[in-house]
Amino acid sequence: MTANLIARDAEGSVQAVLRLLESGNARLVSIFADVDEDGVKRVRYLMDIKREYRVIGVPITGTLQSVTPASPAAAWYEREIHDRYGVEFDGHPDLRPLVTHPADYRFLEVQGVGVCELPVGPVHAGIIEPGHFRFSIVGDTVLHLEPRLFYTHKGTEKLFEDTSVANGAMLAESVSGDNCFSHAVAYSQSVENAFGISVPPRGRAIRMIGLELERILAHIADVGALCGDVGCVVPAAYTARIKESLLQASTRCFGTRFWRGIATPGGVRRDLSAENARAFGNAVALAAADFADMARIALDTPSVHNRFEGTGVLDCKIARDLGVVGPAARASGIRIDVRRDHPYGHYRKIAVEIPHFQPGDVLARAHQRIEETRVSASLIHDALHELAAGIVRTPVPCDSSAEGFSAVESPRGELLYWIRIRDGKIARCHIKSPSFQNWPSVPFAVHGNITADFPLINKSFNLSYSGCDR
Amino acid sequence: MIFDIVQRSLSSPRVLIPVEELLANSMGSRMPGVHAQALTATIARRAAASCSASALAIEDADGRSILSLDYGKCTGCGHCIETGEGAIFHAESIPCGVSRQALVLRWDVERGVELQYDESMLTAAAREIRAIVGGALNIRQVDGGSCNGCEAEIAALTNPYYDLERFGIHFVASPKHADMLLVTGPVTGNMAEAVKKTYEATPSPKLVVTVGACGCSGGIFAQSPEVAGSVDSIIPVDTYIPGCPPTPAMLLTGILQTLRQR
Repeated sequence: MTANLIARDAEGSVQAVLRLLESGNARLVSIFADVDEDGVKRVRYLMDIKREYRVIGVPITGTLQSVTPASPAAAWYEREIHDRYGVEFDGHPDLRPLVTHPADYRFLEVQGVGVCELPVGPVHAGIIEPGHFRFSIVGDTVLHLEPRLFYTHKGTEKLFEDTSVANGAMLAESVSGDNCFSHAVAYSQSVENAFGISVPPRGRAIRMIGLELERILAHIADVGALCGDVGCVVPAAYTARIKESLLQASTRCFGTRFWRGIATPGGVRRDLSAENARAFGNAVALAAADFADMARIALDTPSVHNRFEGTGVLDCKIARDLGVVGPAARASGIRIDVRRDHPYGHYRKIAVEIPHFQPGDVLARAHQRIEETRVSASLIHDALHELAAGIVRTPVPCDSSAEGFSAVESPRGELLYWIRIRDGKIARCHIKSPSFQNWPSVPFAVHGNITADFPLINKSFNLSYSGCDR
Repeated sequence: MIFDIVQRSLSSPRVLIPVEELLANSMGSRMPGVHAQALTATIARRAAASCSASALAIEDADGRSILSLDYGKCTGCGHCIETGEGAIFHAESIPCGVSRQALVLRWDVERGVELQYDESMLTAAAREIRAIVGGALNIRQVDGGSCNGCEAEIAALTNPYYDLERFGIHFVASPKHADMLLVTGPVTGNMAEAVKKTYEATPSPKLVVTVGACGCSGGIFAQSPEVAGSVDSIIPVDTYIPGCPPTPAMLLTGILQTLRQR
C-alpha cells in the first residue's frame, strides 16, 4: 500500500457511531450517502478512532437518528445528505437547505434593540470566490454571522460517476484549483488503495515535493494577503513575488505552474532530471529564507501585530466540537495532521515536525503558516537530496471493481477521497473537504469582533469556496 | 518595523517581465500545438481518442479528414501530446482574447496543412471603450463558479512580475466602476442570477472577457445538471481566453488583444 489506510466497511448502526463519539476516542471525519452495488441506500460514517480510519455503513430505513447533538461536526454533512438524498435526521437542530438555494430560504433572524442585518455577496470586491455572508450587527460588533455558501456547487461528486479511473485525476484537480495537487494525490491514493497498488519510491517522493510546495505556496500567499488586509501592502507585494518565483521554477522544472497533470493513479506523469532537482531545490530554499525574513519583519511591525493579536479567536473547545482540521486547528492548540496521524506515501518513511500554537487568533494562524512553511521547505530539501532512483509510476488495472479511500494533509487540512470503482469506472466518489469541515467554525471566530475585521479573520482561515461547495 | 520592510523591499531584485516576452507566450499552459506536416491519420485518430476533454475531434469535410482542436475546451491534460509522436507538442502560443470561433483550429490530416480561420473584427464596444479610455481599463473580476484556479492566475497579474498597472489597467471593487468584466466559469445554477445582475450593473459601453476552459465552454463541468453553462450562455461575451487555467501571460495577452492594443 502506498497510502495511509485501508479498512473494510463494518455494517453498523447510528447507535454504534454515537457510542464511539461519546467514548471520546473517536473523531468524526465525514458522513456521506451512497446507493451500493446491492441496491441498498446507506449512510456512511467515516471515523478516526485513535489514529485509525474506520467506515461504518448504516442502511437507511425511514429516518435516522442525528449524530449532530453528540458531535456538531456532523451538522453540515447531515444537512447535505438531507438535501441530496432526502434522508430525515431525527434530532438535527437545523435541516434548512444547505447546497440548494430555494427562494424562500430564511436566515436566522437576530432580534433585539439596535440589531441590523448586513448582507454581503455572493459577488465580492476582490479577486475571490463567491459566497454570501449575512451579518447581524449592533454598531460595529458582529452578534452573529451566517455564511450562505454553495454558489460554486458544480455537482462534482456526481460528475465523477462513469469517469474512467485515469481521467478522475483531472476532475479532482478542478475541485479546488489552488489545492489541485493535493486533490489529485488524494484521489490517486484512493484508487491505489482500492486496487492494492504500490507507487514506486521515486514517485512517492515527487508527490511529497509537490504536496509540500502547494503548502508553501498557500501559506506564503496567505501571510502576504493578511498583511495586505491590514493596509501593510509592501509585504503583500513582496510575498506575491516569492510565490511567483516558485510557480516559475515549477514551470521550468515540471512544465506546470500549479502541478496540474502530474499526479495520476499509480504514480506521477513527470520525472525530474538531476539538473532540475538541483534548480528546484535552490528556488525553494531561496524562497523559504526570503519569506521567513520578511514574515518576521512584518509581524514585528506594531501596526500589523496589533491588528492580528486577539482578533478572530477560535476557541479550542469549539474547534474540537466542530471537527476543525488543518492549520486552523493547530493554531487553536489541536495537534492533528494526517501526515503524522495517518502517514501515507513518502511520509511513512519520515518524521514530520508538526508546529502548533495555543491562542487561536489571527496572529496564531499567521505564525502557524510561517512555521509550516519552514517545515515544508526542509522536507522538500531532504526529499530532493535523497531522491530514490527508478521509475515514477506503476500500471493500474483499468477494468476492475473495488472500493478504497485515502487522505492527505492538504494546505487547508485533512482531505479525503472515498471511491467505489465498477469495471474501471468510478461509481461513487465522496470528497471530504477541509473547507467544508472548517467553514462552520468561522462564525464562532468572527463573533464579538468588529465587522471591519471580518475580511482579515476570513483570510486567516483562507477556506476554499469551490472545495467546500464541490 | 515598517522601515525594515521598506528597506528590504527596495533591496529586492527587479523582476518585471518585459511586455514583449509576455505577449502571445503560453509557456506553462500545457496545451497542445500541431505540426501540420508531421500529422498522420493514425496520430490524429489516436490523439482524438486520448482527449479527456473532447477538445480534439476528427471531422469529415467532403471526404477529407480534418483534425479540429477546440482550445475553448482543452484542459491541457497532455494525453494527446503523450500519444502524438512529436506531431503534437506543447504549444508556445495560443490565441487569447479572440472570438469563440477563433479558438478552434483545424488541420487537413492528409494534406498536412493548417486551415485558416477568419480573425474576428474589433467589437463595437471595444472600439467605443478604446476611444474613451484608450487602454486604461478598469476591470471587475467575476467568479461565476470556478474552481479558483483561474482566480489564482488572475490575482498573479498584479504581482511584480506582470504588474498589470503598468498598462494603466487595474481591478476595481464594483461592476459600476468597470469597463470590462473578466468572468470565469462554469456559471453554476446558483450563480447565474448574480452573474446577470453584475453584468446589468456594469455601465455601457462594457466588455466581457471570459476566462478559462470552463468559462469558454463549460469545460469538464459542461454536462453537470448543477451547472447553467458557459459564460456566453448567460451574458453576452466579447472575447475568450482559454486555458486550465490560462497563465498570467495568456491573460495579459487576451486583455490587450481584446482592445487590439498590441
